[in-house]
Amino acid sequence: MLRFLARRTALALVTLWVLSVIIFLASHALPGDVGKRILGPFADPRAVVTLDHSLGVDRPLLVQYLSWIGGFVHGDLGMSLSFHVPVSELLLRGLGNSAKLAAVAFVIVVPLSIFGGIVAALRRGRLLDRVITVGGLSATAMPEFVTSIVLILVFSVTLKVLPISVQVPADADPLTQIYHLILPSLPLVLVLFGYIARITRAGMIEALESDYTRTAVLKGLPWRTVVIRHVLRNALMPTIAVVATQTGYLIGGLVVIETMFNYQGIGQLLYTAVSQKDFPLIQAGVMTVGIVYLGATLLADISYSLLNPRIRLAGRE
Amino acid sequence: MDREAQRRLDEVRKGRTALENNAIDELIAGRVSRREFIRYATVIGFSMPVLAVVLEACATGTTTTTSGSIKKGGRLNVGHQTPAGAMDPILTNDLGRLTIIGQCGEYLCWSDSNLHLRPVLATSWTPNSAGTEWTFKIRQGVKYNDGSTTMTVDDVVATFQRLADPTTKGNNALSNFKGVLSPSGVSKVDSQTVKFTLDSANGNFPYLVSSDNYNAIILPASYNGGWDKTFIGTGPWKLKDYVVNDHVSLDKNPSYWDPNNQPYLDGLDFKFYASEPSAILAFQAGSLDVYTQFSVANGLSLLTDANTTVIDIPSAAHRQVHLRVDKPPFNDKLVRQAMGLAIDRPTIITGLWNGKAQLANDHPLFKMYPSSDTSVAQRALDITKAKSLMAQAGKSSGVDVTLYTEQVQEIPQLAALLVSAGAQVGIRITLNITDSGTYYDKYWLDSPMGITDYGHRGVPNTFLSAPLLSTGTWNAAHFANTTYDGYYNDYVKAVDLTGQKAASGKIEQLLLDETPLVIPYNYDHLVAVKKKVAGVEATGMGHVNFRLAGITS
Repeated sequence: MLRFLARRTALALVTLWVLSVIIFLASHALPGDVGKRILGPFADPRAVVTLDHSLGVDRPLLVQYLSWIGGFVHGDLGMSLSFHVPVSELLLRGLGNSAKLAAVAFVIVVPLSIFGGIVAALRRGRLLDRVITVGGLSATAMPEFVTSIVLILVFSVTLKVLPISVQVPADADPLTQIYHLILPSLPLVLVLFGYIARITRAGMIEALESDYTRTAVLKGLPWRTVVIRHVLRNALMPTIAVVATQTGYLIGGLVVIETMFNYQGIGQLLYTAVSQKDFPLIQAGVMTVGIVYLGATLLADISYSLLNPRIRLAGRE
Repeated sequence: MDREAQRRLDEVRKGRTALENNAIDELIAGRVSRREFIRYATVIGFSMPVLAVVLEACATGTTTTTSGSIKKGGRLNVGHQTPAGAMDPILTNDLGRLTIIGQCGEYLCWSDSNLHLRPVLATSWTPNSAGTEWTFKIRQGVKYNDGSTTMTVDDVVATFQRLADPTTKGNNALSNFKGVLSPSGVSKVDSQTVKFTLDSANGNFPYLVSSDNYNAIILPASYNGGWDKTFIGTGPWKLKDYVVNDHVSLDKNPSYWDPNNQPYLDGLDFKFYASEPSAILAFQAGSLDVYTQFSVANGLSLLTDANTTVIDIPSAAHRQVHLRVDKPPFNDKLVRQAMGLAIDRPTIITGLWNGKAQLANDHPLFKMYPSSDTSVAQRALDITKAKSLMAQAGKSSGVDVTLYTEQVQEIPQLAALLVSAGAQVGIRITLNITDSGTYYDKYWLDSPMGITDYGHRGVPNTFLSAPLLSTGTWNAAHFANTTYDGYYNDYVKAVDLTGQKAASGKIEQLLLDETPLVIPYNYDHLVAVKKKVAGVEATGMGHVNFRLAGITS
């Protein structure tokens, strides 16, 4: 298990290094001058040159990369070019907010969609199965900005039962914070429900039709025990992988939902950074999302290998 | 005018300069309107008591506004566009920061919604006869919102020396002061007086040190960055809490210098919005009391909302369509004129702005500027004439051109309407609409046709120089016309309104003839305020003044 972990961690580090090179080059390939982006298109050219020099963005690319990556591995993420505050301060707040929203969405969607997938598989071909699969697919297909606006109009503007304002005072109690996060998490639930439920349903159907399930039934185990002990354990493995891969999306890919609900998560922060050519913020932000994504994938691999020892053994060959 | 009024007016005139007496003559003779006179008088530094006597003597009636009974205390939730960068007066170039900085900081004078200048940290100002020297009397006894530091003339001198200095890091005021003011031109006369000796004559100089200049709040002489930690300024509000990209909360400044205009409210809570639709939804859901600017494109529902008061300020802000004069197809002025004649402006204003915009006439002299010559005929839709011009240019078979612009508010819809307009006269337009950054980096100054967003200015100097002078740095049309350059110099140097108007008329006629720019409309600045809130003052520049705002009882 330790070798498995070491190999996966080493692979993750290499992936992060490649990511650092790609994001550095990609962010510098964005069109336009940094000073001009900060001061605006109508700024005096002399002011732009002075600012570019003071920010160090007129240095050779290699010098800039080594300076940035050197700081990054030592925990110094640099200063935001646009906002003149430490990048770590902006990222920690954005990451914290995104994590809160992702957690609330996960708590709602994971049990709900797994339950939906199980029910659909157990009622395969019946009305309930069709309602769950077709309904889930329809919800997934709807763009987030559409569901967001509809939910805001219904629950905030018309019924006034859920607050549109997501940001609550930092000292607010956890229940108040969760209450404010329900509305923005609903579009996420709608997006993810159909996907996770279908994967769960497919895994369940495969497991239900397997030899070991037939054997368990034939040896006289109660149906509930067969489902819980034998079917679910095997059926949920693909679901775990899918849930893990959605973590990256939930942490860094919620630009639309964060914008609609004016939620200061890492997605909106990255969008702002890209539009401002704020290199340190773009690079550190993408690396942070990459670390979260790789961490979640690693956790999924570990869970997967614990549930299915063949994964670990295959790695030794 | 009755005898008593004449006597008081004569008394007042004794102490006036030749320039000021000339302005009074213009008013009496009816060559300038009352509104134009007030606006011009404030520029050349008439004090309020003198102005009142002159206006009373020539009065035909007065108007007052009331804001209902406002109770003391409470806070307002204000929705506001996300500041585009660090909260620093020197760096500021966007509405997101301007409005916030204008709460805690103050200017020498305030340019109001009617383009009149009101004294704030300066009590009066006067030019020399050539308009090359402006002397400002500075208010005494003003404290900063830290409660202890007193504002001095040295602070005023340091503020403008900093803003006129090309070596100041990230100095966004340079585009205003270039060719107008150098650091050495700012000097202290005595403990109450500052003198600006200009690089060249400028009849509208007070606007450059007013709230019309994004960067010109007065800061302590010792200021060396880090404004976002202190929000230092002499304004009625002081910093309570600021989180970058998220919100800023301000409290009433207990040491505010004006005892007669202390804020009613205890504080303001600004919430930043990156998306206009989400801010409008929050306003409609009751999370916000004020939304500081909205467009008709996104906020049509607010215009008819029974719970909303819309403050509607006509402004000089406009969309400037440049037609590049040195390359086909717009290197022929007949084709450019045809494009201007193909546009149905009233329909565009109704369709895109629900009437919340003013007709413009393909030059940047906004009709509300007192110096504009409104006698110049308005260009109107005339397809027959446009087709005839195309035929005269030998382009009966039509021309092809690509229009580049940015994805901002109603600009894409305007671009689509220009496509339809051009098609009627044989100008076949292909659209290339990008994000703002790409447009300004790649296409703005190097495209045959483009639409650029220009914000409000209290005076047209910038509009007339940077996009139109032969040496203009924002000259997307590549317009180079020595006659125009001469008219521009006449305009800028004129200190009296008659001289400015004379130059304006020539500029307007020349630009209509040459048509390097098509400007279909000047759009209004719209602020949404809940009915329970009163006393909010807005300007075309985008300032929202909450000093006398409050919740009605």
